[in-house]
Amino acid sequence: MLELLGAAVVNLFELKYLLPLLFGTLAGMIGGALPGVTITMTIILVLPFTFGLDPLQGLAAMTGVYVGGESGGLITACLIGIPGTPSAIATTFDGFPMASKGQPGRAVWLGIWASVIGGLFGAIFLIGATGPLAAFALRFGPWEYFALFILALSMVAGLTEASLLKGLLSGAIGLVITVIGTDPIMAVPRLTLGSEFLQSGFQFLPILIGIFAFAQIMADIEKMGPGRTGEVHAVTAPNLRVSHLKIVGEIVSRPFVLLWSTWIGILIGVLPAIGGSAANIMAYDQAKKFSRHPERFGTGTPEGIIAAESSNNANVAGSLVTIMAFGIPGDAVTAVMLGAMIIHGIQPGPLFISQNPTVAYGIFAAYLLAHPVVLLLAAVGAGFFLRIVVVPKAVLIPVVLVLCVIGAYALNNIMANVWVLLIFGLFGYLLVKLGFPLAPLILGVILGDQIEVNLVRAIMTDSNPWLFLTRPISGTLIALAVISVALALWQHQRAQARLARPVDAEVEF
Amino acid sequence: MLGRDGIAGLVCLAASLWLITLTRGLPTPALVPIGPGFYPRIVLSVTAVLSAVLVIADLLARRRPVAGPSGGGERRNYRLVWVTFVIFSGYVAALTVLGYRVATLLFVLLLQVVLDPEWRRHSVRMVVVAAATAYLTYLVFEGYLSVLLPRGRWTGF
Repeated sequence: MLELLGAAVVNLFELKYLLPLLFGTLAGMIGGALPGVTITMTIILVLPFTFGLDPLQGLAAMTGVYVGGESGGLITACLIGIPGTPSAIATTFDGFPMASKGQPGRAVWLGIWASVIGGLFGAIFLIGATGPLAAFALRFGPWEYFALFILALSMVAGLTEASLLKGLLSGAIGLVITVIGTDPIMAVPRLTLGSEFLQSGFQFLPILIGIFAFAQIMADIEKMGPGRTGEVHAVTAPNLRVSHLKIVGEIVSRPFVLLWSTWIGILIGVLPAIGGSAANIMAYDQAKKFSRHPERFGTGTPEGIIAAESSNNANVAGSLVTIMAFGIPGDAVTAVMLGAMIIHGIQPGPLFISQNPTVAYGIFAAYLLAHPVVLLLAAVGAGFFLRIVVVPKAVLIPVVLVLCVIGAYALNNIMANVWVLLIFGLFGYLLVKLGFPLAPLILGVILGDQIEVNLVRAIMTDSNPWLFLTRPISGTLIALAVISVALALWQHQRAQARLARPVDAEVEF
Repeated sequence: MLGRDGIAGLVCLAASLWLITLTRGLPTPALVPIGPGFYPRIVLSVTAVLSAVLVIADLLARRRPVAGPSGGGERRNYRLVWVTFVIFSGYVAALTVLGYRVATLLFVLLLQVVLDPEWRRHSVRMVVVAAATAYLTYLVFEGYLSVLLPRGRWTGF
């Protein structure tokens, strides 16, 4: 394993891989620094640039975007109090107060070094756990795969902040989208209403671009108008010089916060479609709960920054494990990576590492190398990332939309994909306005075909439906799916009861 | 009286039931136990049940007083959203009529004018951004990444 990793790292030092990694990380940091531009949107914008590259070049660029994006968000979070990405929200709580107290360099570099150290700890898990988990997944038959995908969907639906019912319905709508088109058994057109446009079904990348990028942009436009251009006015470049040795010392002298937050990040990354924002906030909350001085949180304490930043970068490693071992995207960013792999003829899943060792270890190497690249780019251009936020949204939005169109079009060089982007962009925006979470929908679209294929295979092999419950792994996974829905239901009811309590109190008086 | 959730649930319920009826026309294979309509019927039935529960939950929620933040919040500019959507739809339609370069130039220029209340003051910047976006993306994607961008029926390029 280490030999393969060593060879992959050496291979990645070739200019043809190093440049995409460098540009990807830079794009990620810029996208991460720009408030309103998420890492998902950045990776969507980078996607069309990777079509002409070989698979490892493209995936190196995307890994760079992912790692760079998680780190880019913290710069604006610390210096102007606006998190560049949702996964830097908790970084703002202590990063901005610390910078406001005259220590901007300490705030930014504590975040960057915590990101890098947390990310590198995450790499140990990524490299060590992916192979064994993939080997375990090789024991899966269609029953187990079906159960695993159902578990992933139920977890995503249950863990969304909106109502559980809407999360489940959103996932079901995603599955419905995948049944439109030619069926996998008899190649019969299904629910196409005689339309040629619908006959080949919908590819998930244009849907994903529409739902995540377009719907997000529309939500940003809502807040614009006369006197509200969405512009952030020029920020004077603060002095970011620090003693790096002292900063690293500050981090490693708090091993519990660092390791516990990293572990939280990894675990949340492994769970499908939860993402770095949850990891960031949960790790911050845990650090505060375990602290001897919780009252210092929110005033500029280093523990807050270390917890928030080490967790969101470790979260990337967890997400990569899920996609590489099981073929299930850990979040929207890995969903785009999954799409890119499929375009290049690579099927992520248990056989991925054994069938494509060069690409798999190349991703590990890219993940490892992206961290020093982040350090380098932050050292050279932290001030530049800060200036990026003054780009007016009126300029940014049209350019982003053009790149979204190219991303959808370039998948097959056909306009149908652009129309799909438009239709699902509008659909996604309407769902957002109605309070439906989008993550279950997109996971339903991604997993729908696989759920159907494995269900059909299982029934074709043995028509006894009880096998889904009586086979040990499949039964356990389905039980976990039921437990996750029940748990979510219980949590939602508890939250509802908490909300209703003040009303009851008013009635009594 | 139904709320927003209830109406959304009703729309989903109606769509699911309609699609279930469409699956009845799908052929049944003679040799294998399940056909092309098997899985869609399961998925659509689940969707229909969830939609119905959403409608019922909405009706029940409307009977109970619920404490929570009341109204207020940031004012939303939905008009700008719809104008942007119309312009974007026009851009997508124009790609095959005017070609990528002309359509992109016009789209980026027009959308900047719509989104920027001080567009007269920034007119030079807008033209530069529009021209650079159209030219540079064309150059990179056609020249280096082998993506053949749409040609216009009217313009020929």
